[in-house]
Amino acid sequence: MKRVDLIVIGAGPSGLSAAIEAAKTGMSVLVFDENARPGGQLFKQIHKFFGSKEHKAKIRGFVIGQQLLKEAEDAGVQVSLESTVIGIYPEREVVVRKYVETPAADGTDPQEPSSRHEAVFHYKADAILVATGASENMVMFDGWTLPGVMGAGAAQTLMNLHGVRPGKRVLMLGSGNVGLVVSFQLLQAGCQVAALVDAAPKIGGYGVHAAKVARCGVPFYLSHTIKKVEGTNHVTGVTIAEVDSHFQFIPGTEKHFDVDTVCVAVGLSPMSQLLKMAGCEMDNSGKGGGQIPVVDAAGQTSVPGIFAAGDVAGIEEASSAMIEGRMAGIRIAEYLGYETKEAGEAEFSKEEASLEGLRQGMFAPQNRGMKIEKTEEGIPISTNLLKHGFVADDEIGRFPGVTHKAGIHPVMECTQNIPCNPCQDACAKHCIHIGLNITALPAVEEGSTCIGCGMCVASCSGQAIFLVNEHTKEGCAEVTLPYEFLPLPKAGDEGFGMSRSGKPVCRAKVVKVRTSKAFDHTALLTIEVPEDMAMKARFYRSRLECTGGDSVIAQSRIKGAEVSQNGATGDRPCESKAAAESEKREEGAAI
Amino acid sequence: MRTDRSKDLGPCLPMEGDDRIVCRCEEVTQGEIRQAVHDGMFTMTEIRRYLRCGMGLCQGQTCSRLVSGIVARELGIRPGELRPASSRAPMRPLEMSIWANECQAPDGAAETKKGGAGDEKC
Repeated sequence: MKRVDLIVIGAGPSGLSAAIEAAKTGMSVLVFDENARPGGQLFKQIHKFFGSKEHKAKIRGFVIGQQLLKEAEDAGVQVSLESTVIGIYPEREVVVRKYVETPAADGTDPQEPSSRHEAVFHYKADAILVATGASENMVMFDGWTLPGVMGAGAAQTLMNLHGVRPGKRVLMLGSGNVGLVVSFQLLQAGCQVAALVDAAPKIGGYGVHAAKVARCGVPFYLSHTIKKVEGTNHVTGVTIAEVDSHFQFIPGTEKHFDVDTVCVAVGLSPMSQLLKMAGCEMDNSGKGGGQIPVVDAAGQTSVPGIFAAGDVAGIEEASSAMIEGRMAGIRIAEYLGYETKEAGEAEFSKEEASLEGLRQGMFAPQNRGMKIEKTEEGIPISTNLLKHGFVADDEIGRFPGVTHKAGIHPVMECTQNIPCNPCQDACAKHCIHIGLNITALPAVEEGSTCIGCGMCVASCSGQAIFLVNEHTKEGCAEVTLPYEFLPLPKAGDEGFGMSRSGKPVCRAKVVKVRTSKAFDHTALLTIEVPEDMAMKARFYRSRLECTGGDSVIAQSRIKGAEVSQNGATGDRPCESKAAAESEKREEGAAI
Repeated sequence: MRTDRSKDLGPCLPMEGDDRIVCRCEEVTQGEIRQAVHDGMFTMTEIRRYLRCGMGLCQGQTCSRLVSGIVARELGIRPGELRPASSRAPMRPLEMSIWANECQAPDGAAETKKGGAGDEKC
């Protein structure tokens, strides 16, 4: 039987972080993961993370995964993949199903490659950390077993790990951060998102995530849920209906969508069975998203030597899972005598403070289910954002990041207190102020001068910062917005300026497209719009995108939407000069 | 946690969605689960043994939450009050041929501080 100091089960964010901390103290650490790739869910996360610098904010999830793997390798952590832990037995014995490689006869003949078969192995450790994460919840409705109904995480795996589009037209159930983030990634992958539906009366995830989906034209249906998914061999359509405060369907409120995919993002359940089998005291009250072990701040369970960290000990997100993992790793090193109590304590409290920093603001665990009416600054929250996914025109002006000024200046449409502050550090000219309180809304610093570098726009994980020049020339304004779709528009392209709700509000001309390593794959699109649209146009769609029968613009044209009214009259003054201007700018564009 | 067996649940009346499959691996419907509760299966362990829901390929990863919701509703209690089914090895479905193929990883402490999963002979 192989013996090591620490066995970690699960090579996700918390498991790897714990393994790194433990291995740094000289412990022998072995990590098992049943998947073929390490990193847990991190490699599916193509969006930029929230938080502060210490939480790796504004770095994309998969990059954090790469960094963790590198760190683990440097620390001497051994990761055993395709290794499924099938049980934890008394005295910390771990039984693993994994492959055994049998080398070919002489080991050199390429015609006779080594064969592999599976077997069961026994290991023993002085400490075990269970970091097995969570699995997706499902809800039942007629047709929920049809091919085409899948978890949002499954759709994300298809797209971001395997490069497969889950479908052409998708309905998303669930408006938590998973539902919102995956909806946006579906759009990025070229799928249409027909609707975002949630039985709750308000959007559960971050407003900034909702806003970037809404401005792509995705309608939100709150207090709605799926009544029926149609199809015989696969999904062909879905019917949703409104629900009352007791989640009962209201007759006559049915709405039908032709879709081929339904994604379900209704929460996660901890995969805690191993801990239960090991005899750990469990909490079944449901507060951690399901059955969770009873643990202390370091993840120590009721069984000495067995620890738990990450989603398995209560559903949160990757950033807090990484810190929890580090805390557990430090405490385990202390427990086994590889770290002095004093040194461990110092490191531990540093991580604890960092975790505390993430658990602040409107979405903090202690605020779950609370009705929040005002921000920390005392500003009434945007109710339209919670109901429809975007801040209404008459609400946006009351937030401190939204100010008017001559010349180019940042407009931060960040309206909820969330623990995030990369924008503050991004601005070399100190135009953006958040202060020491990480959840404070970003405000425009009085007397500062914006040079239009765009670093703040690219640094905002919520894509909520815009550079606005409200008057560039007669009747014209320019808006610089974050753009993460391919193909990138080119300077000179013409299309439409889209409102926060994703409706075309004016003609728009692309005057500049900036990409740079520092922007980390977020392109900065500068569009020229009519002056009165400077504070309304927040997204761009090309003419080409508007020709399809399904496109937002084609549909709204049929309904006689604003394009013909606003667009035709508003942008005429810009037209002629803009063309010449944009050519000049194109040369200078940093591509 | 003692299960109250004297509870009178009344007759098992048909409900919307009774023909819906809840446990996909073992193809158990909502109606079957409800009937099982009325037949006297008051705990998740009993339901599992009686109907096999949660005993298939996914080991209840998808349906156990749904099943406990249905059982709790039938019993008029909160799902959290229901004792979860026991957890036992193997945690994941395992072919008997692999289960029987026990290998000894080399004994002794890790040779280097780097630990290691290699070197197993089978």
